[in-house]
Amino acid sequence: MFPTSTADAPPVRPGVVTEACRSVRDVRWLIGFRVASLRGRSRRGAKIVVAVFVLLSTSAAVIPAFAPGNETSARAQDIVLLLPTLFIAFLITTTLAIVGAGGGRELLPRDEGVGFPVSPTTDHLGALLLAPLNVAWMVQAWAMFGFTAYALGPTGLWAAQLVVAIWLVTATAIGQAIAWGVEWVRRGRGGVLIVRAAGIILALGAAILVATHQVTRVFDHSPTLQVLLIALRGRDGQWLAWITGSLALTCMLLVAVCAGAWVNHAVARRQPREELKEAGRSVTPRATPPSDFAALVRTDRASVWRSVPLRRGFVVLALLPGLVSAAGRLEWAMLPILPGLVAAGGALLFGVNAWCLDSTGALWRDSLPVAPEKVFYARVRVLLEILLIAMVTALVVAGLRAGSTPTAAELASLLATTVVVSLQVVARSMHWSVRRPYAMDLKSSRGTPAPPSVMVVYSSYLALTCTLTGMVFTITAQASSPLWALLWAVPFALAAIRRIVTTAGEWGRPDVRAWVVSTVAAR
Amino acid sequence: MSTPAVDVRDLRVQFGAVEAVRGLDLSVPPGGSTALVGRNGAGKSTTMRVLAGVIPPTAGTVLVNGYDVRAHPLDAKRQAGYCPDVGGLIPRATPWEHLQLSARLRQLPAGWDERARDLLEAFDLGAAMHRVTSGFSHGMGRRMSVLLAAFHDPQVLLLDEPFDGVDPLGVEATMNVVADARSRGAAVLISTHLLELAVQACDEAVVLRGGQVVAAAPSDQLSGETGAQSYRALLS
Repeated sequence: MFPTSTADAPPVRPGVVTEACRSVRDVRWLIGFRVASLRGRSRRGAKIVVAVFVLLSTSAAVIPAFAPGNETSARAQDIVLLLPTLFIAFLITTTLAIVGAGGGRELLPRDEGVGFPVSPTTDHLGALLLAPLNVAWMVQAWAMFGFTAYALGPTGLWAAQLVVAIWLVTATAIGQAIAWGVEWVRRGRGGVLIVRAAGIILALGAAILVATHQVTRVFDHSPTLQVLLIALRGRDGQWLAWITGSLALTCMLLVAVCAGAWVNHAVARRQPREELKEAGRSVTPRATPPSDFAALVRTDRASVWRSVPLRRGFVVLALLPGLVSAAGRLEWAMLPILPGLVAAGGALLFGVNAWCLDSTGALWRDSLPVAPEKVFYARVRVLLEILLIAMVTALVVAGLRAGSTPTAAELASLLATTVVVSLQVVARSMHWSVRRPYAMDLKSSRGTPAPPSVMVVYSSYLALTCTLTGMVFTITAQASSPLWALLWAVPFALAAIRRIVTTAGEWGRPDVRAWVVSTVAAR
Repeated sequence: MSTPAVDVRDLRVQFGAVEAVRGLDLSVPPGGSTALVGRNGAGKSTTMRVLAGVIPPTAGTVLVNGYDVRAHPLDAKRQAGYCPDVGGLIPRATPWEHLQLSARLRQLPAGWDERARDLLEAFDLGAAMHRVTSGFSHGMGRRMSVLLAAFHDPQVLLLDEPFDGVDPLGVEATMNVVADARSRGAAVLISTHLLELAVQACDEAVVLRGGQVVAAAPSDQLSGETGAQSYRALLS
């Protein structure tokens, strides 16, 4: 012991405001660190993504205001009535997305940041900043800007859109705070069961509302009507009411941000039980697989289903789109849109960087005497089956309220679009997996297979291509013969299969494989 | 003189502008053991990865028990057992599942499970054989990686940093595996920073610097304080 005169003095802890300021500074540093790690094509790509985002957001917020039928048409009036529903739907979907992701994305992954004093407030602010890097968030935001512009017209547009923008941020902050709350419960004793039970009760409640045709009535009483009223005050030049309302909304935002930070401090004091349980999990042994291919498939399946973020993501993906479609009574002719969106989401769980499932084990796996093509097709098989399970589940749920019996053309279109988008998504995912591997860990419930900025590009690309493919099959669903759907499916499927075969050939090259394996194992 | 089990001639490995290995020659006879030592970035792990068939050589000839890693990669992989320098385990698979996968892909005959159980006990991993490896400590992971490399009685045993973070009992188990491999005529190549353990496990030592061999001698010449001084002189 080396006693000093100050040995017994308690350490001076900084105040809440000092800590908050430090957290904001840390977020700035971490963003700088992330940006600095982008080089060459990635840096250029990020700049393009930001420019496209700003351009599309501005266009969505302005152009519809000058479209024919704006403000005065019956359609514009209908949209005004729908806006509060859109606002609340945004809050619900954003919250579910962040809850499903275990609290959202990390500016600095936990295992990388373990040696640094990154506070829960910094983590919270980082997750808030990264939340919009999600194609579902962006599309909804653009839709809200666009509908608001069309429904309210060009007069006082900036004031109305400012309110919408504040609502987007506020809803995200509320969703983030709720997600931390759920994570806090999940980390408590019996928390996983409690969260699952609550999820089932909420899903049943939603199903009852849908079955009893009460959805519209409930949404008509949405508190987000106030958001619309504030926007209308701005449009109508009632500045005092607009300023008061906007300030109230901003106060709500600040409260949500502070509450989220406070709850996340509580979350940080609890152990992530589910992940720790998974890490210590014992597995009942099974017989040795009958073939090399079966052995590879079994290993890959285990890597998927034993991962907390992949399991959670799969459940959200399989159920949420189907429930939304059922709630909206999407008809059979429109259902071909659904498989594409589910497949795109499924690929984002791990498929876009499929080799990261092996992590540091990739080096050992590649030293085993097995043809690389067999390894490749085993992973294709596992990705394909996961996408198909999710798509079929979503279609079954959506089909419960899709109206009368589907026609032969509608069924053929559904079948064709399911097969085609599965192949397209697998082809694109495996291509990215071989061309752009990342060393990512899917151990944490917040883990993603690629960095956030890359995930935006991937999700945008997949959502766009899958939606376009789905639209083709919504047209064939209205044809007189089911043959049209099958005929259209052939070229799409062949093109995707060709890409899969080409990528398998690339994976077969020792230099390419060495680079991929060394990259994903570099943790 | 017998044909070397590991025969490397003028090996070159280039990653973009960086040449990790520059004209390396190496030879290990059946039943022999050689330690690869050197500073970080000397090219030890890259050489091991080439021998394991994970990285293709840019130039040169690499034969593993007579099989060219470039011309006959699967045959070369069948001859070798490899413990990588980092990790080496699939995070969400159990040790038993790793062994099943290896047994299946290496077409091991029935009865492999008995040897697997014996090795798991020898490495003190018997109680954890059905636990997923993501929860393993670093030392447990290293021990499991050595076990996987030795499990199928390969003709060439490649151990990259097998002693890193391993407790004395684990070191002893690894030493036994090396001795067993040598006694049945397998060649052993160990890459390590732990000079004393390298000297203990191997009868030859090859010092690498900047991707090249700077010295090769019987390992006992590197033992003790005099050996350590000679080694430091070679590194600088």
